[in-house]
This record gives sequence, C-alpha cells and structure tokens, in this order.
Amino acid sequence: SPTGDSWGIFTFLCAALCNLPALPALNCSEELGAGQSIQQTYDLTRYLEHQLRTLAGTYLNYLGPPFNEPDFNPPRLARAERVPSATVDLDLWRGLTDNARLTANYRAYSRLLCYLRVLDGQVGTSELRHRLAHFCASLQGLVLSIGGVMSSLGYPLPAGPAGPPVGPTEAPPAPNDFLKKMDDFWLLKELQTWLWRSAKDFNRLKKKVPPAVVTLRLEARGF
Amino acid sequence: DSHIQYERVGADVTMKCGSMDWDAAVTWTANGTDIDESHLNGSYLILKNVNLMQSGQYSCYEGSSWHLKYQTSLRVGTSPREPVLMCRSNNYPKGFYCSWHLPTPTFIPNIFNISVIHGTKEMVCEKDAVPKNRCHIRYLQLFSTVKYKVTLTVTNALGKNFTTLTFDEFAIVKPDPPESVVAKPVPNNPRRLEVSWQNPSSWPDPESFPLKFFLRYRPLILDQWQHVELSDGTSHTITDAYAGKEYIIQVAAKDNDIGTWSDWSVAVHATPWTEEPKHLTTEAQITETTSASTSSFMAPPTTKICDKGAVVGSGAVAVCWTAGLVVAAYSVLFI
Repeated sequence: SPTGDSWGIFTFLCAALCNLPALPALNCSEELGAGQSIQQTYDLTRYLEHQLRTLAGTYLNYLGPPFNEPDFNPPRLARAERVPSATVDLDLWRGLTDNARLTANYRAYSRLLCYLRVLDGQVGTSELRHRLAHFCASLQGLVLSIGGVMSSLGYPLPAGPAGPPVGPTEAPPAPNDFLKKMDDFWLLKELQTWLWRSAKDFNRLKKKVPPAVVTLRLEARGF
Repeated sequence: DSHIQYERVGADVTMKCGSMDWDAAVTWTANGTDIDESHLNGSYLILKNVNLMQSGQYSCYEGSSWHLKYQTSLRVGTSPREPVLMCRSNNYPKGFYCSWHLPTPTFIPNIFNISVIHGTKEMVCEKDAVPKNRCHIRYLQLFSTVKYKVTLTVTNALGKNFTTLTFDEFAIVKPDPPESVVAKPVPNNPRRLEVSWQNPSSWPDPESFPLKFFLRYRPLILDQWQHVELSDGTSHTITDAYAGKEYIIQVAAKDNDIGTWSDWSVAVHATPWTEEPKHLTTEAQITETTSASTSSFMAPPTTKICDKGAVVGSGAVAVCWTAGLVVAAYSVLFI
C-alpha cells in the first residue's frame, strides 16, 4: 500500500539524513568548543529567528490558504507530537540546571533539523529548496554551537543519533495532503517558538556562566 | 408601582398609566412638571423621537383623586457599539492584562464579560478593582505555540456587541516606560550630560528577561531628536550636547528579543555645565568674558565665517579681518 511504502521511505530518509552530521559533529565540536561562547550561540538564535521569518513566509505561501493567513489558529491535532515543544511550565523552566537547559536546546534543534531536512527533499519550488538548504545549514551551525558550549562546560553531549526515534512510538505519516501541510505548519511554529525560547535560555546562561569560566575549563582540558 | 424603562434614542415611546383604562382621566408629570395634554392619547403618554434630555422620572396620577397610579424612570440610551479591547504584557513572563472601553457612551448601564481561551482551555481573567475596565491573567505555561483568543462582550438593555483579539504570547509584550530618569551635567564638561534611569518596577525579572533601551534627546530650541539605542546598562553619557543649551531627554524600554517598545518616559530637562562668569572689575577681564561666551555660542560642527548675525568676539573678529584683507587684496588686483 502507498502508506506503507512512504512510511518506510520516511524512516529511511530520516535515519540516513540524521546520522550524517552525528560523526562530524563530534569532531567539529572539539574544534569549535574553544571558539564558541554562549554569546555567539545567543547571536545565532537571533540570526536564525530573522531567517525563519522570511522562510516561513515563503513556505506558508507555498502551502497556500488557510496556512498563510495571519489569523490562522488551528487546534493542535491529537496526532502524536513528534516535534519537540518549547512550551514549558514557568517555574520548571526557571529551575532548569544549565546542563538540562542546554540539553533541551540541543535535542530540540537536532530533531527539528532532521525534520526540516526531510521537508527539503519533498518541497516543490527551487526557491524554497534553496532557502531551506540555507536555513538547514545555519541550523546545523546552531546545533554545533550548542554542542560546543556543552563540551566547553564539561557536559556530555546527549547520547543517540540526532534524529527522531524509529519505531512504534513514531507518529505515522500524514494520511492526506491537508494533514501533511498541517504537520509542516506546526513544524515551522515549533521552530519559531524554540528560537524565541532559546534567546531567553541563553540570556539566563549568559548571566550565570561568565565567559571567564568557559576559558578556564578549556585550559584545564588542554585545548 | 415604579420601575426602570430603557428606550433607544429616536424611538417612539408609549407609556401606559399602569392598569388604568385607556379612556381614564389622568395627569402625567415628568420630573414633577405637568405634561401638556397634547402628548396624551387617552391615558397613554406618547413621546415621539425621544432624546437624551427626556430621561427622567415619569409619573401618572388619577385625574380627580391625584392618586399616584404609575411611576417609571425613563432612561434613553443606545445599544453598545463595538467595544475597544487592548491586551498587553508589561510584566512578562508573569502574565498579561486586558483593558477595554466603549468608543461612544450608551448613557445606560453596561455589563462587560471577558473570556480568554488558550487552545482548548478557558482561562479566568481576574477583574481588577481599579480601574474597573481591566482584568489580568497569569501565564501557566511559557513559550506557547498556541495563540490566546480574548473575547469581550458588552451587553445593556438595548442590545449587545463584542470584539475579539487573537495573539501570540510574544506579540503583546510591551514594558512600562523606564522610571526615575535623571539627567545631570558633568562638572568641567560643557558638552556632556549624564543620564541614568531604572527598569520599570512592573518588570518582574530583568535578570532572565533583560531590557534594552532607547534614549532620545534634543535641545529645547530644536525639533530634531537624536537617538541612541543601548543594549546594556541603565545609564548613558551624552557627549555631543550643545554647550549652554537646555536639553529635553526621554527613555523607552523593550524586551531584548520580543514585543514592542514602551511609551516614552517622563521627560527630564538638563543643561550641560557651563563655566562660572568671573566678576567684571577690569577691562581686560571684560574682553575675556565676552570671548569666552562667544565660543560657547558658536555651533560646534560648523563655524560660519563673517556671518552677519555673529556676535563680535576676538576669535570671530580675527577671522573676519583676515577675510576682509583677502577681499581687499583681490579688489586691489582688479582695479
């Protein structure tokens, strides 16, 4: 059946695309760990937020109405939420340890990047493919940057491939075109919200971890 | 028996004298004043095309006995127009408040009802005691992808109306203006002004949610503002003030990443430090004083040579003389 085939293709694509950056990421973070600071990561989130505004505008127009209407406010469907949500209880967010905060960001962007790459493969116009590719490259930079901060602070990078879990917990692909577009809509929304959240996450980290601490740890590790 | 009667402006109102028959002899009064019989149709009082001035106490008395048979308080008004609703978060991330009003008065009592829906959840907006047309909500979750939908319904005896606002958590963030803005001259620096301010007290967590600021200043005599955006700190030194001129200074605040700028703060006035004039006892000292005051009146960026209106002083005079000599030399050449 077509659903079965596309399910197989989907998981294969994701697994393939998402495991690709995992190996170089481990090598790259060591090089970048020296240079990356929390401030740079913060700046990257702001830059990506700007980029996303243009990308989202173009993409939603490509999806067409009602997705490109400014008042479009659909209910969250009961499909399993595969895209990690930035939404969090206020006190819980305040109480996150630095490690937990960074891990949440790292995991979220790794998965979001993976989904965006799948999107890239399916999208129609060349303008969109170009924009998506550019955005994915910047987003990859952000993931590496966060990884760099974690390494320089002595935190282990989250284990496992930077992709969605494969198996029965994974949501089945959308059964029709409209629902597929809804999935894309929510993906972009979650991405936007995460970038807003990250600015606040890294603000908090900036205040709590002055740059001097970062360099000290690097020296201790012999970089 | 007495009660309140609400009628629309411009309507035709018929008032019956309680249970009295149509052909009974009655007298109507409006606020104690007898009403002319021309307004009566039998025992019914007819008011055509009522206006606001006709609001008041109407009473009906039986003809001969002067027993009070009926009394009503007539209130002339209108049904409500679409209300104006505004929601804003000046205390992010704690929550937000909504405030409302009617664009035109109805002249009769109105009831406002507000509902806030977040996704599938209905939230309670707690009404403020003061001001009355305001309510506030606490955020339960932060960084929400789902929009908030606020609906305000206004109802009165003559009709109802409503308006809806839909927004993202981030879109309505607008801090209050900075507080305690102070501008001081800097001793021995005739072109500097030191400005300092504080975060608005309503902003609960400037550590995790830092504010950035926008400073604007101009001398009172000019219309053009100068602007400085500051991403850090709550003070700034202006270094290009025109010496001796009184300045007006204002500051605005914004969350570093989201939302919109606050309104401008209360304006403060300040004049840069100027040198104290010395006592005029000798001629030498007089010349010194005039030359000092001349240099402070000359606009620093552009110096006009031999401007007709320029104040005479030693510096300006020297330049004028030089220019005069040059002109004289040239004119000699051309004779």
